[in-house]
Amino acid sequence: MFKKLIEKSFEKSPWLFHLNTGSCNGCDIEIVSVITPRYDAERMGFKLTGSPRHADIILVTGPITSQSRDRLIRTLAQVPDPKVVVSIGSCPRSTNVFNGSYSVEGPLDKYVPIDVSIAGCPPKPEAIIDGLAKAIEILREKRRAMK
Amino acid sequence: MVVLKYLFNVLVFPGLLFSALVGLLLSGLDRKVVARMQKRIGPPIIQPIYDFFKLLGKETIVPRAASRRTFLYAPVIGLLALVTVTLFIPIYKYTAISTVADIIVILYLLTIPAVALIMGGAASGSPYAGVGISREMVAIISYELPLVIVLLTIGKHVGMALNKGVITFSLSQIVSYQAEFGPMITNWRLIPAALALLLIIPIKVGSLPFDIAEAEIEICEGPLVEYSGAPLAIFKLNHAIKMFIMTSLFVTLFLSGKGTGILILDIVLQVLLSAVIVVISISTLKAITARLKVEQVLKFFWTYPTALALISLILVWIGR
Amino acid sequence: MQHFPILSIVTLFLGAFLTVIFGSKNETVRKFIALVASSISLILVLMLIKPVMIKNNVIQYWLGNWRPIHDWAIGIGLEVDALGLFFGIIAVLTIFLSIIFSFKYTKKDSETDKYYVLFLMLSGAVLGLVFTGDLFNMFVMIEIMTFAAVGLTAFRNYQEGALEAAFKYLVLGSIGSSMVLAGTITIYSQVHTLNMAQISALLFNNLTPSALFAFALLLAGFSLKAFVVPFHPAAPDAYMSAPSSVSMAFSGMVNKAGVYAIIRLVYVLFHAMDFKSVQILLIIIGTITMFIGVTMALAQNDFKRLLAFHSISQIGYVITAVGVSTALGLTAGLYHALNHTLFKGLLFLTAGAIFYATGTTDLNKLGGLARKMPQTAAIFLIGAFSISGLPPFNGFVSKWLVYQATFQANLAPVTIIALLVSVMTLASFIKVAQSIFFGQMPKEFENVKEVPLSMRIPMWIMAILCVITGVLPNIVTKYLVSPAVTAALNIGKYIDLMMGNGYSEKILGKPIEIPAVDFTLAGYWDPIAWLVLFALLLIAVTIVAVAGGFNAVSLPTEVDDPKYDVFFSGEASEHSHVKGNDLFWGLKHDLRHYFGFMHDAHSGIINDYALWAIFTTTIFIVYIFLLVP
Repeated sequence: MFKKLIEKSFEKSPWLFHLNTGSCNGCDIEIVSVITPRYDAERMGFKLTGSPRHADIILVTGPITSQSRDRLIRTLAQVPDPKVVVSIGSCPRSTNVFNGSYSVEGPLDKYVPIDVSIAGCPPKPEAIIDGLAKAIEILREKRRAMK
Repeated sequence: MVVLKYLFNVLVFPGLLFSALVGLLLSGLDRKVVARMQKRIGPPIIQPIYDFFKLLGKETIVPRAASRRTFLYAPVIGLLALVTVTLFIPIYKYTAISTVADIIVILYLLTIPAVALIMGGAASGSPYAGVGISREMVAIISYELPLVIVLLTIGKHVGMALNKGVITFSLSQIVSYQAEFGPMITNWRLIPAALALLLIIPIKVGSLPFDIAEAEIEICEGPLVEYSGAPLAIFKLNHAIKMFIMTSLFVTLFLSGKGTGILILDIVLQVLLSAVIVVISISTLKAITARLKVEQVLKFFWTYPTALALISLILVWIGR
Repeated sequence: MQHFPILSIVTLFLGAFLTVIFGSKNETVRKFIALVASSISLILVLMLIKPVMIKNNVIQYWLGNWRPIHDWAIGIGLEVDALGLFFGIIAVLTIFLSIIFSFKYTKKDSETDKYYVLFLMLSGAVLGLVFTGDLFNMFVMIEIMTFAAVGLTAFRNYQEGALEAAFKYLVLGSIGSSMVLAGTITIYSQVHTLNMAQISALLFNNLTPSALFAFALLLAGFSLKAFVVPFHPAAPDAYMSAPSSVSMAFSGMVNKAGVYAIIRLVYVLFHAMDFKSVQILLIIIGTITMFIGVTMALAQNDFKRLLAFHSISQIGYVITAVGVSTALGLTAGLYHALNHTLFKGLLFLTAGAIFYATGTTDLNKLGGLARKMPQTAAIFLIGAFSISGLPPFNGFVSKWLVYQATFQANLAPVTIIALLVSVMTLASFIKVAQSIFFGQMPKEFENVKEVPLSMRIPMWIMAILCVITGVLPNIVTKYLVSPAVTAALNIGKYIDLMMGNGYSEKILGKPIEIPAVDFTLAGYWDPIAWLVLFALLLIAVTIVAVAGGFNAVSLPTEVDDPKYDVFFSGEASEHSHVKGNDLFWGLKHDLRHYFGFMHDAHSGIINDYALWAIFTTTIFIVYIFLLVP
């Protein structure tokens, strides 16, 4: 009984942790717009948390700069299982216009497997919510696999 | 038989299960109301229950720098203290442990969850938690002064009416006073004290604008920063139960009385009134204010609520 | 039975002399002597509980069999009533545990024979002070106590500040002693006797100006021995630089001796508690003491110094409660005195353990020791929760009584301050917990080990006593506190023993009924409450078990995995400890003017402190002349 309840809860209450790895702030603002009254992601239980220890879904924005690489890896390691990594925007996926820069060490999937990738520069809030909905499904599958 | 009765009291009503359920629903209500005030749809009212069970399903990580035992047992000790408090708070004429109900005991028992949070945070070894516990302690010092004065005022008022001027600290006596003379809030002398208590409730449950200890933006949720999984779930539960206890205490102190005479209805009435207090004192403030600075909190609580409470105390002292 | 009091005192002094003779060469011999002397005196005093506390007798012993002639006491007499025995029990308990603790604790010191000699002298003096029935003998004991204490303060004279502290203690202690001497002489010149029972009988309703003058001097002198604000500045230095086992004795029995002397003075010698003005005087100095003590403690950065200021603050509680002068108030005061000995002794011992293990008690240098010293940390938490008054530990009971007593006496401001002080006490112990036991550990303490068993045993004994006196207040009150309260309020027996039966009833009237203290509202009296507690523990275990079943608790492995690092916004884990100095910024900022003022006032100059002492004595004299009829 508890098992089912917990699985259901994983669908209903995914907490987000936002990780900026050198983004231009465009995607960050779009993430914030997701929790504004117009889109209100909180109605689906999304909540931005302050600590990776509380998070289920990690939103990564920005191409991985050399300054942020180690910090990214450490922070991702500190998230308790089950966890889902979502890349927001084109940067973490392909390093976008920063490709080839001496200070960019992306893309993200060199370091961690990405579960959901939301494209766009920046992606629309609707796209982010859609991506998060997919992330929830992956989160539930991961929880099932844990037992 | 007695054992079973008390086990029932502790585990089901009004102990763990009941208070946890009501507390979680109240904090869900709080989130919903705040969302509606900000023109959002808001999460479902049972959202905190989902959060709780989700956290139970997560992995629990104990950091290398942490003192493991203190880290893991701190939330449980907080929960224990809170469950004990729920037994002491009368719901109209019903109390789980009949005569044992004392304001000072409740005051100190309510400090224990905060101390548990502080100890847990300190044990985690995080510098963010260090800053968080420092702020939490400042918050405790801030609200304790007006809270004490409010409680003493009520004790004095009831004592003057029932005990020939000798102070009473007994909550059941306070309830029986209200059953005789009508709710405490109808007495104009005690209205400042009621206002002060309404201002104290948000800081006691740690909500905006007084949530300096758990400021998730500045210090990554303070003492909770290293918690994950089940201990975090219990801390969130503590939070919810504390919300129920504080509002229920307000109801018992100011809005109690004869009740309807039927236990179920009394309970429903108490919970409904608690919900009203949640909306008035927690949600409204949360929706319309931003977080205060640390030193502003202390300054605020040592001036306005303290002054309000003192006015009540003096009024009660000089007049009958 | 008759001889127990004198034997218990003499054993300790004899132990001191034997240590000088036989113990100067051999470590084992002096330890053996100290252990035997302290345990004999412990047993003798504990055997007095039955006749004095339960059967309510007063034990009298005339030194050298100089019995009184024609009702005039010439010789020195010991009179042990329940009040004296109460403090006697406190003292022997402290002595015994402190001596056990110091066996290992003084391992690194040289010339420990002097330590044991002085310590046994100090113990004997305190015990003599609480058992004596003679005012001049009391002065003698105070002198021995003060000078032994000065010597012990400077025992670790290689430590910075030890000699300075000893000097401060010497100067202030001498001022106190001379006031006591002056007061004693003034009384003697009026009533021509030094026996306290006789003085009490003769001074009843006979407070001439010279008696009032003596009262003021004695009150000031004893207040100085109890380290009441503003006589306190010697205390923090002395407590800080003395070895921890001695600091424990200082706060456990030396300042308790001062409190005892104050109680004996105001209740027995002068019957002064009948006057409202004396009550108010005691309540005022008590309240000031507890508030200034705790706020100063908040600002300290050394564990032992912080504890010293807490000692001052807790003595403030005792004095306030004693000043309320109802039976409830006195019960509260005595109960708190007992509890203070237990939890403060415990905390000083943890400070000693920390010093033994790490070599420092500076809050800004330590950190994260709970992982290396789990038992010390647990004991510290018990002590910290006790002193902060969290249920179910003992501080809660006595503080609850203090609030009840003060509020019933229509002293709402005092109750409010007392409750606020209690919260601030909690705050400063949170500071200690965070900066010593929790948080991150500096690299140099990697190899710290738990302290040896012989140091942990006294700490555990005190911790267990803290819990027992917390959960069984009824029994403690019935067998220890109430008899002492009765003895303080009904001094008939005390006087009768000296002046013949029926004498006191003629003068003082019928004995006062002491109402039983009711712990109903504290929630401890009910066995059902215990059941509830048990059920709650059951839930706790279940929760931990069930929560453990839901998911695997991931414990850190030895591998350098960033998963178990502390979250540091992604930075590599480095040493970043929130130290004692960094805590409570908001509070310190808001109260910066007050803290600045207090900082300036505690200038560290002995002349200033002597001036405070003299000035306050003057105020006492003026106040008592003006307001006490």
